[in-house]
Amino acid sequence: MRRRIPHKLQRPEGLILTSLVDIALSLVIGFIVALPMFFETGIFVSQPSVAKAKPGQESDIKVNIHLTNDGKIFLNEKPIPATVLPDLLPRLLARSVTRRVIISSEDRVRYNDVVQILDMAKQAGAADLCLLRIGKK
Amino acid sequence: MTQNANIDILPMACVGLLLVVMMIMTAPMVMTHSNTPVEVPKTHTAERKTEEDIVVTLTVDNKLYLNDQPINKSDLEDQLDQLLTKDQYCLVVVRADKDVLHKDVLDIIAIAKRAGAARIACATKKIRE
Repeated sequence: MRRRIPHKLQRPEGLILTSLVDIALSLVIGFIVALPMFFETGIFVSQPSVAKAKPGQESDIKVNIHLTNDGKIFLNEKPIPATVLPDLLPRLLARSVTRRVIISSEDRVRYNDVVQILDMAKQAGAADLCLLRIGKK
Repeated sequence: MTQNANIDILPMACVGLLLVVMMIMTAPMVMTHSNTPVEVPKTHTAERKTEEDIVVTLTVDNKLYLNDQPINKSDLEDQLDQLLTKDQYCLVVVRADKDVLHKDVLDIIAIAKRAGAARIACATKKIRE
């Protein structure tokens, strides 16, 4: 005698793929969302080439930042505390046409310290970031 | 003996799912030249790149890699020159560890400039707020 299975417990004819498709879809969405996080971003820099200045050439507002080995920051040859720089930079750059920031450093300065200044300059609205290489004497 | 008339698509779905997972795992490795482990500086501002580029990596122990292949500093200019002859405007990305000296990074940038690189960028990792 065949045992009768209640209608509700009977297995459907086809496979239920909804959950599998849902998982696959959520994985794809997760992948799309997470993909940009895998990639590194970057800050564009340039190294100024040496050019002869023409006499009488009008210079723009300069933003020269120099970092020393002992962690001091010089803005346009004047020592300033690091906390003041985020306030000063936007004001200086607002008056500059080229909005160029030139960064130089002594030989024992860490790369991370320079990048933090580059980042600060970018946040302040710098359009052109230049890394100055001081020649060996 | 009766044969099931329906096509069993479960293995196919499983293979498809496995392919998706494999793609998720391998895509970042295939699409970038940034497999050499380097802790790049973290910044608030950054520009995203979506193009084929040349990656010069400088690790914390001052080892140099060009597109994830180890290279000597003396050979870097020639190799970069060869790569840049195809496209001078190809982006050269300097991936330097945050703890290296800035002058070493400047040396690499100078070599890239001498090799004819018109566009240079420093790799950073954006701070998620």
